Amino acid sequence: MYTILICDDDRDIVSALDIYLTSEGYQTVKAYDGREAIRAAETHEVHLILMDIMMPELDGIRATARLREGSNVPIILLTAKSEDTDKILGLNIGADDYITKPFNPLEVIARVKSQLRRYTALGGAEKGPGLITAGPIAMDDGAKVVTVDGEPISLTPIEYNILRLLLSHPGQVFSSTQIYEQVWNDPAYGSENTVAVHIRHLREKIEINPAEPRYLKVVWGLGYKIEKGA
Amino acid sequence: MKKLQCSTAAKVCAVLVLLAAAFGAGVFGVRALISSVSITRSSWQYSSRFYSAIDERRRDLVEGIELSQTLEELEKQIAEGTANPLAYADAEALREEKARVEERFSRQNTWFRFRLLTDDGQTLLGTNLKDDEAISRTVKEMHYFSFELWDGSVNYDSETGDLGLSPSDANPEGETAPPMKLVLEYGVPEKVDDSIQDEFSQIWRLWDMDRSSFDQYLTGFLNLGALTLLALIWILWTAGHKSGAEEIVLTWQERIFFDVYAVIMIAAIVFLAFCTVGLAEQLYWSSASVYAAQSESYTSFYNLGVAGAGALFAAGVGCAALLLRTFAVRVKARCLGKTTLLCRVAAWMARTIHDFVRFLPFTWKMVLGFGGYTVCTLWLITQGRYGGGFILMYFCLQLVLLFFLAWWAYGYYRLRQGTKTIAGGDLEYQIDTTRMPYDLRLQAEDLNNISVGLAGALDEKMKSERFKAELITNVSHDLKTPLTSIINYVNLLKSTQQTDPKAAEYIEVLDRKSQRLKKLTEDLVEASKASTGVLSVTREKIGMGQLIDQALAEWEEKLSDRKLTLVSTLPEGETWVYADGRHLWRVIDNLLSNCAKYAMEGTRIYLDLERGKGQVALSVKNISRDPLNVPAERLMERFVRGEESRSTEGSGLGLSIARSLTELQGGTFDLAVDGDLFKAIVTLPQAN
Repeated sequence: MYTILICDDDRDIVSALDIYLTSEGYQTVKAYDGREAIRAAETHEVHLILMDIMMPELDGIRATARLREGSNVPIILLTAKSEDTDKILGLNIGADDYITKPFNPLEVIARVKSQLRRYTALGGAEKGPGLITAGPIAMDDGAKVVTVDGEPISLTPIEYNILRLLLSHPGQVFSSTQIYEQVWNDPAYGSENTVAVHIRHLREKIEINPAEPRYLKVVWGLGYKIEKGA
Repeated sequence: MKKLQCSTAAKVCAVLVLLAAAFGAGVFGVRALISSVSITRSSWQYSSRFYSAIDERRRDLVEGIELSQTLEELEKQIAEGTANPLAYADAEALREEKARVEERFSRQNTWFRFRLLTDDGQTLLGTNLKDDEAISRTVKEMHYFSFELWDGSVNYDSETGDLGLSPSDANPEGETAPPMKLVLEYGVPEKVDDSIQDEFSQIWRLWDMDRSSFDQYLTGFLNLGALTLLALIWILWTAGHKSGAEEIVLTWQERIFFDVYAVIMIAAIVFLAFCTVGLAEQLYWSSASVYAAQSESYTSFYNLGVAGAGALFAAGVGCAALLLRTFAVRVKARCLGKTTLLCRVAAWMARTIHDFVRFLPFTWKMVLGFGGYTVCTLWLITQGRYGGGFILMYFCLQLVLLFFLAWWAYGYYRLRQGTKTIAGGDLEYQIDTTRMPYDLRLQAEDLNNISVGLAGALDEKMKSERFKAELITNVSHDLKTPLTSIINYVNLLKSTQQTDPKAAEYIEVLDRKSQRLKKLTEDLVEASKASTGVLSVTREKIGMGQLIDQALAEWEEKLSDRKLTLVSTLPEGETWVYADGRHLWRVIDNLLSNCAKYAMEGTRIYLDLERGKGQVALSVKNISRDPLNVPAERLMERFVRGEESRSTEGSGLGLSIARSLTELQGGTFDLAVDGDLFKAIVTLPQAN
């Protein structure tokens, strides 16, 4: 049984999250500012922390930095700010993920599960010769199995091939034409527009929030890529 | 250095040195001037002293001859007994006189050599030469003097032989004895010495002395002159500096107009210079007088004269030093022009004319300028018939006109360029008005003022827009927190069992509206950010075809859910544009979302991409479900939608955001409404 620390200065949000997480079978610890969160993390054995950024006393960013000094427990930031700079700052300081307010409870649960699986996988599957990974995505090319946070997902052969192409070149941007030519092994004569549709389906299977992908990213007007080091 | 420059003692010393050195230089200068004759003439006999001495001698000799003639006459009368009873006494006196003359002209007493001849040159009447001596070889230069003797009175004749008086005038009674015509040849040997003491040996000695001491005088003059110059330079260098004063100190001298001062001083200097030179000449002439030179008191008089000349010279130098000093002070204080009467008058006149021309209305300037030009041209052309100079002046006038026109044209060009830049939107731009014609400059300055005002107003507007954006962002952040609670608890409510069947319906409304509120706050933040330009834009080469493919993949299902068919027409090959991929995606996303919301079900949506003239145009066309009773421009305003009721899901911000984002990327966003046909066109610069 995992214990999750919920920290927000809005008590209603904390209790709502508490209800959702408890119903999912997690134990919860509540805190209402950064200081309390640090104290709670010291007194309880916590497996994951949900932390608001804008809080009195000690804000979420500083609390995260403080916590990171002695622990590598997953931290998901809750933020009302949607600017990219805030997200980047949070991730740089040591947070593992972020969720923007107002959030969907289902998304919160999905992200909590994802982080916990990764945290508790303890090294995950052994790295075989045919194993390609990027973040939570792992592809065993021998067994033709793809897992996200350990959960196996079913892919069509074309989706599988596209994912393999992108995974084997993390960070590199592939245009629709390139993907078509490499996956279909055919010159693309205007038929590459199907690639976009396939990738959308692939994204829906991999990502928690396909409109805001974390791993399989759309580079608008240029193509697609798997985020390097994600 | 500065201390030395300010030292009063040094200044006083310099003045004393200047005056003393100038006095010394004057003394030496006068002496050198007097003795310079001995250097410039090849022989001592060519000096005026010699001429005056030898003329004196000749006069004495002629008087002596006359005397002896008178004596002869008298003796003859005594012998004939017709003489005056007391004539013997006269004769005695005359005899004594004659003996003295003979004594004076004897070889032993003088270097003067002469020969008295009848005018035919045959009869030698008297000489002091030895028998074997030839006068032409003895003397340096032979002088001639011819004269007539009339019964004891001499009729002078010059060396040239002209008669001073006619014989009849001299002897009106016309007595019988004809005049004796005589010629005197005389001169002085070149080599004289002190063995015979007379005026010639004296002159020779003076000349010799002058000759030997000239170098000395000149050296003295030059050395002291150099010292004077040094003192003068020192005075000029220290002029105007005073200890305790940073800037140049002006004295009473600088209160006088410089040109007035200069005229007075130069007059004084010229006067003193004339006095000095005149005195020197006087001294020279006085020393030419042999008897004066021999007298004792003369030496002190001469020395006094020399000292006077030195003092005059020193006074002149002092005046010059005063003038130069005030000049130096004025130059140092940079007030030479201001303290010169002529300059001030000229400046005043120039200013008056300048002001007059400047404030003349432009039309009058044109008329007067053209009139003046025409008159000048006509005059020069008519005069041109008489001389080439006028033609040259005519061409010069044309050149001046050309220069003037070029100046104006260039000024106008700059004004035009500046206006164009300002009109092009660069309100910060200031037209450079240096060296612009006056009338154009006025225009340019007014334009600059307008642009400054406009830029200020625009700045204010930008500031207020930014403030608005900040306010909206903060408010929406504050809205998001309670909204999060609402969304979450609505969700929780949905999962509970409701006894009243209507409750589920109400919860559904709450859910829908809370989602709409969420979308509204997000759109609001984005719209305010996009319209104020606080978003960062990274433009790069983007493939429009690729982007449209990606966008269609996102929207295909949602559109087909609403029974909308997409028809896209793309040109052959990839179309590249310069844009920010994320922002451009938001533009297309908003347009397609608009279609999904407002297009009539079962119709087609046309998406066309066109290239041309360095621009890429993407147009999205759809048939509106509701009549569009709002003009196209209004549709782009915030919170405006095709139908005025707010029942549908849109926030009314989509098109506004799309337009702002397109403009941020350097593109244009246009809307067109034709009946129920709605058309949006995004134009972006093409990349190669």
